[in-house]
Amino acid sequence: MKVFLKLGWFFKERKKEYLFGLTMLALVAILNLIPPKVIGYVIDEIGSRELTSGSLAKWVGLIIVVAILAYILRYYWRLMIFGSSNYLAKNLREKLFRHFSKMSPSFYQQRRVGDLMAHATNDISAVQQTAGGGVLTLFDSVTTGGFVILAMAITIDWRLTLIALIPMPLMAISTSYYGKLLHLKFRDAQAAFSDLNDKTQESISGIKVIKTFGQQREDTEDFTRLSNDVVEKNMKVAKIDSLFDPTISLIIGFSFMLSLGFGAKFIHEGIMSIGDLVAFNTYLGLLVWPMLAFGMLFNIMERGSASYDRIEQLLSVPVEIDDKEQAIDVKPNGDIVFSVNDFKFPGEEASALYNVHFELKQGQTLGIVGKTGSGKTSILKLLLREFEGFDGIIKFGNYSIDEYKKIKLREAIGYVPQDHFLFSASVYENIAFINPKTDKETVERVAKLAHIHDDILRFSDGYDTVVGERGVSLSGGQKQRISIARALMMQPELLILDDSLSAVDAKTEESILKSLKEAREDSTTIITSHRLSAIEHAHLIIVMHEGTIVEKGTHDELMELQGRYYEMYQLQQLEQLVEKGGGVS
Amino acid sequence: MKKQTAFSSKEQRQIVVRLFSYLKPHKKAVSFALFLLLLTVIGDVLGPYIIKVFLDDHLAVGNFDLQPIILLAVSYFVIQVLNVIISYLQLVKFQEIALKIIQQLRIDVFKKIHQLGMRYFDDTPAGTIVSRATNDTEAIKDLFVSVLSTFVQAAFLIVGIYVAMFLLNPMLALFTLILLPLIFLVVYLYRKYSSVVYMTMREKLSQLNAKLAESLSGMGIIQAFRQEKRFNEEFDEINHEHYIAMMNNTKLNSILLRPVIDLIYFTAIVILLTYFGITSFETAIEVGTVYAFITYINRFFEPVNNVMERLAIYQQAIVAGSRVFTLLDEEENEPKQGESNELITEGLIEFKNVTFSYDGKTNVLKNISFTVKPGETVALVGHTGSGKSSIINLLMRFYEFKQGDIFIDGVSIKSYRKDELRRKIGLVLQDPFLFYGTIESNIKLFNDELTDQDVVDAAKFVQADTFIEQLPNAYNQRVTERGSTFSSGQRQLVAFARTIATNPKILVLDEATASIDTETEVAIQSSLEKMRKGRTTIAIAHRLSTIQDAEQILVLHQGEIIEKGTHQELLAQQGLYHKMYLLQNGIVQ
Repeated sequence: MKVFLKLGWFFKERKKEYLFGLTMLALVAILNLIPPKVIGYVIDEIGSRELTSGSLAKWVGLIIVVAILAYILRYYWRLMIFGSSNYLAKNLREKLFRHFSKMSPSFYQQRRVGDLMAHATNDISAVQQTAGGGVLTLFDSVTTGGFVILAMAITIDWRLTLIALIPMPLMAISTSYYGKLLHLKFRDAQAAFSDLNDKTQESISGIKVIKTFGQQREDTEDFTRLSNDVVEKNMKVAKIDSLFDPTISLIIGFSFMLSLGFGAKFIHEGIMSIGDLVAFNTYLGLLVWPMLAFGMLFNIMERGSASYDRIEQLLSVPVEIDDKEQAIDVKPNGDIVFSVNDFKFPGEEASALYNVHFELKQGQTLGIVGKTGSGKTSILKLLLREFEGFDGIIKFGNYSIDEYKKIKLREAIGYVPQDHFLFSASVYENIAFINPKTDKETVERVAKLAHIHDDILRFSDGYDTVVGERGVSLSGGQKQRISIARALMMQPELLILDDSLSAVDAKTEESILKSLKEAREDSTTIITSHRLSAIEHAHLIIVMHEGTIVEKGTHDELMELQGRYYEMYQLQQLEQLVEKGGGVS
Repeated sequence: MKKQTAFSSKEQRQIVVRLFSYLKPHKKAVSFALFLLLLTVIGDVLGPYIIKVFLDDHLAVGNFDLQPIILLAVSYFVIQVLNVIISYLQLVKFQEIALKIIQQLRIDVFKKIHQLGMRYFDDTPAGTIVSRATNDTEAIKDLFVSVLSTFVQAAFLIVGIYVAMFLLNPMLALFTLILLPLIFLVVYLYRKYSSVVYMTMREKLSQLNAKLAESLSGMGIIQAFRQEKRFNEEFDEINHEHYIAMMNNTKLNSILLRPVIDLIYFTAIVILLTYFGITSFETAIEVGTVYAFITYINRFFEPVNNVMERLAIYQQAIVAGSRVFTLLDEEENEPKQGESNELITEGLIEFKNVTFSYDGKTNVLKNISFTVKPGETVALVGHTGSGKSSIINLLMRFYEFKQGDIFIDGVSIKSYRKDELRRKIGLVLQDPFLFYGTIESNIKLFNDELTDQDVVDAAKFVQADTFIEQLPNAYNQRVTERGSTFSSGQRQLVAFARTIATNPKILVLDEATASIDTETEVAIQSSLEKMRKGRTTIAIAHRLSTIQDAEQILVLHQGEIIEKGTHQELLAQQGLYHKMYLLQNGIVQ
């Protein structure tokens, strides 16, 4: 029941619809009481040969009126109640999406997209069911059940009513019990199904390996084994699921027998008529649904409640990084001062960065090198204000980055991430991501800067070619270059290339760097890279190792230093030098 | 995504017929289940009849002889209990049949996936294919479980009830026959409109989910580019469209489902009462018969309601079925192989005038010819999009080519049997893929011929043993999530061991490009050198330094071989290779 309280805000919002819908539902329940009574009267009048054409017309007319009224009311209450639950689903989905779009990257790091999707689909539909089917079931089983029992007790015989009702609670109890059992078995079946899903996913991702090793048959055997498990687990579900209907008809059967037996006795004693008995039995039939519904209700509510809690929990995750109260509404511009004494990722013990200090003048290029895990990307994450809570200060222009409005900071930074994510849209829309209405000239200009223009022209539909998950597959290098073009569209004060040229060959890399240099003469650029060639010409190079700067300077200075950078450079050169014996010009 | 249009009734019928053809292997089980169903229907029809007898012969006339009444009561009770047991068995049986059928369908889909050519995987997102094998077949399961048994049960029960009614009162039964066309009309109308409405709703839902999934995956980008507002608006728009579609569905269900069936029910009651009323003006009517008819009519509407409720599932199963069959009928199969018993013994590879295009428009390989002598190494060099990977794709028979031919040991690659090619050509991919399992299972894959010793030997050979033996469970170390717990270099070494374990005659290498740290790189290079010994090798090289000892280097540019020769020869030519070499060595001219 608690879930209805939790959803109270919604019921209030849709008060009119629910009141209207429930009133009509109650009216239908009352209308439903009429036909069995009419049948009983007609049978008695037939039995005593009192039926006249006039009274027959009256009874039949009554049923017709009831039927038409019930049809209209039924249509409208459905529209009101189910319509409201549809509206709730829409409303919650919108809220979730709004919320998702405010969450910072750390939120996404801790959760998988699949899980978030599950909340937005399964959980919402469970809540929707509670607000629709749940409300209906609760109200309808109470009203119909109550009215029918009252009608049986008052208009026919209260003793017979009590007797016939004896087996009924069993129905609610057993269906609710089966429901719980079913839930457990169903979970196992779902797990088996999800294993099967994973297996298929894996086989498709690894299809080239499987083909190469000619393992199609063996892989199919493995799949068959898993699908056997699915059958087995589902059979367990089936064995419980199939209990519902027979149990219900058994219990109703008992009820009927009791009412017939005692009804016969009462008729014999002259307390009631045969018509009453027929009406009584028809009423009993009307009770099946409310009893059944009551059993199901608990399961619907339980599921809805758990789902609603999960959604609430998700919605209550605070926006981690928000604007300060008097945040500056200006786009940052100017020199960058990065001065971090210590930074740990939330929930981690080891420092991701310590004693990282450097300054970058406007228009300069910074190169960051170092092994995976040395802290290159952590520096960028702090600069982008994806994480906070470090000891130190990061200044962009005259102010610390957290003084600016978040949106202004983002406006100033063009970020090209390592994982080049493209949307399922045309190449054009992906490049003009910042503003889909950008003119063709500008789009082509940045595409040329990123050296992807010629590639795009070779695509089947040129700039209109759809890429991304549901589009054509591009090579890693092409994706990287499109993401670079996308960032260049912003004409950012600060461009960050996070190992964004790794899938591009050396020749293209050099051309891109060259054209970037020309086009962004006064703007600041930060490049991280495994390949030293990408950062060789930077104004400042920092060498990261285990979270801190171990060397800092220009290429020439670092070479002179003969330290780690020099070693890395030598290593990259070494293999080539070894074979230079061949005598290159 | 293709727009899903409603199916014509002919198409629907074809899909249903094809789905039902999966029942064939289960003929016996189906007949048994149907027999049980028949028994339950007989029980259902007999119950009210017994009560009728009780009402007419005993209650109405005040005949209270104990013996016949007890007999009636006992038989009613026994029938009820038997009915419950039999209907339980029947329900379970139908579920079992359905589950087995779906399993078969799934295996068929999975087999088919393995027969598809790479081209299919290029054009179809993995998620979609997975859905065909799992979610869509699951939707079809509902057709077999509930729809099949409900529909059949409904048909049986309705026939049974009509038989009983005809026996009781043929005239009235004839009148009630009018219910059937009414019900069929409703079913017809519902299906006609719901197939459109329902399909729209499903389509909107899948658009909604696609939008959501994509936005979640790309949220970092959306925020970095400050496009939250635009995406919120786009999402709202789809969300609203989905809401409208849901509302239309709710309206349709309200007009045509339960409410209208109840209306027909009342019509039936009106017919009964009118008939009995009018007849009673002339002759006496047995009250029990009225009771029996009323009960039968009540009973009659139970299966009808069940069927109506499941029509939506039926619709969904048809859609899912059509998707599954589209996949099963997909003609983008992997290239066909011949039946020749030729064996690859030498490893001589010849490309002769091979021209190839992925899309049939732009040629990515233009008239490629070259020869690799047994035991030699040929390196493919060129920048991205030059055609290096395409050459490997053709040699591995991932894609079919039409112009030119590739020969191995003088025999066209197309005429070798598939398993011979797979056994003799080993490929190491740029991105080594590890499967869920253990290190050992990843080296063995499913090859039962390999002993544990073979696995260890292979690992030793490629120098993967050092890192494997340091793992807590060594070769039994679990591999999860595609090996993400291992570094890319370690994954690469496992992939090497996997290839070397099969001892191929020809080695195809797609050199890993990025992010392998220097230490592993050294191990990888020396393993590669060992692997190449005595094997014909075709290697894609991104770093020229790794292939300088190759017998032949082919420099590709826009699908053509523009230079070929040894490292020294190519340097002397002062062409593209020379330039690439200088660039990689950081020598500024």
